[in-house]
Amino acid sequence: MAARRGILARIRKAQGRDGEEPTAAELAAVREAIARHEVGPQPPFAHAPDRLAQFRKECDRLGTTHATVSSLAEVPAEVARYLAAGALAPAVAGWGEFAGLDWAGAGIGYRNRPADANDATGLTGCFCAIAETGTLLLLSSPAAPKLNALLPETHVCVVRAARILDTMEEAFALMRSEAGEPPRATFFVSGPSRTADIEQTIVIGAHGPYRVHAVIVP
Amino acid sequence: MFFKQRASEKLGDELLQGNMRKAKGKFVDGRAKAVAEFGVWEEVRAHAAKVRDRALANLDAYLVEFEANATRRGAVVHWAETAEEACAIVAGIARDNGVRKAAKSKSMVSEEVNLNEALEAAGVEVIETDLGEYILQLAHEPPSHIVAPAVHKSKEQVAELFVKAHGKPRLTEIPAMTREAREALRGHFLSADMGISGSNFVIAETGTTLTVTNEGNADMVTTLPRIHVVITGIEKVIGTLEDFATLIRLLPRSAIGQTVTNYLTLTTGPKMPDEADGPEQMHIVLVDAGRTKLLGGPMQEMLRCIRCGACMNHCPVYQNVGGHAYGWVYPGPMGSILTPVYVGLENAGDLPNAATFCGECAVACPVKIPLPDLMRKLREQQFDRKLRPWPERMAIAAWGFAATRPALYAFLSRVGARVAAWMGGSDGLIHRLPGLDGWTKGRDMPAPQGRTFRELYALRQGNRR
Amino acid sequence: MKVGLFVTCLVDLSRPGIGFAALKLLEGAGCEVVVPATQTCCGQPGYNSGGREVAKALARKVLAEFRDCDYVVAPSGSCSGQMKVATVHDLFKGEPEQADFERLAARWYELSQFLVEVLKVERVPGRFAGTVTYHDSCSGLRELGVKMQPRYLLGMAGARIAEMEGAERCCGFGGTFSIKLGDISTRMCENKCESIRAAGADAVVGGDLGCLLNIEGRLRRTGDTRTKVLHFAQVIAGEG
Ligand code: SF4
Repeated sequence: MAARRGILARIRKAQGRDGEEPTAAELAAVREAIARHEVGPQPPFAHAPDRLAQFRKECDRLGTTHATVSSLAEVPAEVARYLAAGALAPAVAGWGEFAGLDWAGAGIGYRNRPADANDATGLTGCFCAIAETGTLLLLSSPAAPKLNALLPETHVCVVRAARILDTMEEAFALMRSEAGEPPRATFFVSGPSRTADIEQTIVIGAHGPYRVHAVIVP
Repeated sequence: MFFKQRASEKLGDELLQGNMRKAKGKFVDGRAKAVAEFGVWEEVRAHAAKVRDRALANLDAYLVEFEANATRRGAVVHWAETAEEACAIVAGIARDNGVRKAAKSKSMVSEEVNLNEALEAAGVEVIETDLGEYILQLAHEPPSHIVAPAVHKSKEQVAELFVKAHGKPRLTEIPAMTREAREALRGHFLSADMGISGSNFVIAETGTTLTVTNEGNADMVTTLPRIHVVITGIEKVIGTLEDFATLIRLLPRSAIGQTVTNYLTLTTGPKMPDEADGPEQMHIVLVDAGRTKLLGGPMQEMLRCIRCGACMNHCPVYQNVGGHAYGWVYPGPMGSILTPVYVGLENAGDLPNAATFCGECAVACPVKIPLPDLMRKLREQQFDRKLRPWPERMAIAAWGFAATRPALYAFLSRVGARVAAWMGGSDGLIHRLPGLDGWTKGRDMPAPQGRTFRELYALRQGNRR
Repeated sequence: MKVGLFVTCLVDLSRPGIGFAALKLLEGAGCEVVVPATQTCCGQPGYNSGGREVAKALARKVLAEFRDCDYVVAPSGSCSGQMKVATVHDLFKGEPEQADFERLAARWYELSQFLVEVLKVERVPGRFAGTVTYHDSCSGLRELGVKMQPRYLLGMAGARIAEMEGAERCCGFGGTFSIKLGDISTRMCENKCESIRAAGADAVVGGDLGCLLNIEGRLRRTGDTRTKVLHFAQVIAGEG
């Protein structure tokens, strides 16, 4: 604890405040500033008249493919179509949330469990999506393991159209109202993993998925 | 060896020069395009500077608030005054938990404190998992750029390193090399006991740390191993999630011209009892190691830095000499300020002088750090502490003496103009000038023409009268 | 209107013709031009070498010398930046003299800005039948916003402008940097010269003598004796 005391005291001395620790009044002032949750300026396109179009545009930019279906029940068929089109095996490791859909009817083997290193495709939902950047926001929980979005080479994500928001700030506000605090992992996914570390040449598929596919449902 | 010698060596390194030429322009053009289509760049930049200043102005209170919230969420917060303390803390966590292998995502603070060496000395195998850092670990080299650490390597050099490390046939294409590294590293992610990451910011409101990556390696590192250690600087604290939203609009655009990175991960505490993934323990090491030396004066602005690398990407000196010339982990304009402060002005003498003050860095910096002004402040400190070589100090003193005495100055410049004109000869060019060979080694000095303006002007006025 | 001409130390010593070109342009536009005989230097070399006090002493000297001028004009963006920006925002910031320097800064102009923005000249005496490529010097460009003004004036003189790639990139001069870190400075200058050669103009033109001497020195050393290196004042005054 000597280090903590030393650092705090040095900060205060350098900035001309007496004492070794922040006072109760200073801490209260910081909490007050935090509680304001001041939102900074946002780019005009973040509040596009057609939010869905903006979301799709940004998905395209970052390499997230997308499809729109007319009901949740149609998700398995869309996933089957997508996997077949990419010559990918018809099996997914998915969240419990979607285990009740008719996967067998679509010819897909559904494993209701966290993904492991051998799963080729992971299926998840998302807390919400962000149109400004074409981002999927996943909040971790026992029912929503992050592994399904991370380990497999293909990640399919079910997005409810009504949960597509304009900005990250709106997503945080929704998170505060519905979940209170950020969970262990607040995971923003914007396209498949990539690297440009060799000769600044972009290569898709570094450590995470090679493919991200968003299935938008009403 | 000082910057000047190292830089001259790098200028003569044909391989490096070729590699730097390939990278040149990609960052700068990418950023310019992203900024142009953003629309409100200056407004967001100003807000970002304000947000950073707000936390820095009451840094102790923000840190204590962060600590309280992180602790409430189950993380263990450690404080380190020095690089050695930081290493000892992480090595201690490894020892207490019987850690054999640590997988690391990119962290400049860990480079700064030399964490890998300390862990290896403690018997822990350390694996860098960012592709660039992995390449450099194989090459036993430090990074040359804070965002693109292996920017100085060509794909042929990488292929060579991979042949040695992986024992597979030589590859020629970058996607295949990336795939091979992915496969080599996957096993390490799954078998490591400890994941080590940095944190681009820490959020006081929620006790959150975070990583910003395109590769997804930080997500492996923070999710798979049973222990997660975050090592970061005390200046990284910000107030709210909204502050993060502002800063993250600027960071990837400034760094590589991307609207957002593929992954942003906020990590708050270890896993809950019934969760399938996540570490059992989360440790956060808050490192000072010189940062408090910047507080409370004009240099405090430097602590706003969000490590985007734009200043070095835009720096014509960096573009020509590369990051290794700067001698320590932080290159370019930001390094020319941080290195002298962290390691001592007397040990990094010419870094603050490694700039023409062209101002490109200050224009590019997303948090409006006046980098040239801060470098000049360091030059002032050097001047006041008499740290520059004496001939230089003498020259400035002599020039100052003359320039404040118009009659003497007029006399000296008359003589100087004549002598130099004579030296210029028939082509009006001085090919060698003793004492100024820094100039004349690679350039001629166009000679004065024999008479000064003030002489000719006096003549003209005389004739008119 | 009484206009003080700040000649700059480099022009005084090395290229008086630039000073006379500026004089001709200002007088030709009807200004009463005064040239204080005691002027030496704006202080920037000291300022950028860490010699704050000597920089302040020289700034005060300049202030006194041009006290009774309606305007002060300098054929240099770098000296103008020193007197308009560094004095107000750093050297005398928060000191009693700050207000004096603010007033001086408001009256102080870089030559091309003065000609275009204050005098609003529509005609220049010089003619240049050929192409020029323009090097934007850093201080003028980034501190003062000098960019279109000299190009506009060169256009009036009939010059065709062939923009070089990276016109806004530093030439590597940087005052004492060019000597202290000569190897890097030379390499940066070589990069600039490559752009100049590629532009294929008859002359490279700029607004700061330091950069021009640097560029000329490298061009000549590398065997280019053909490309002229000129200050824009020389071109538009017809003294090139
Ligand atoms: S100083 Fe500014 S431009 Fe440079 S890395 Fe830091 S934030 Fe980026």
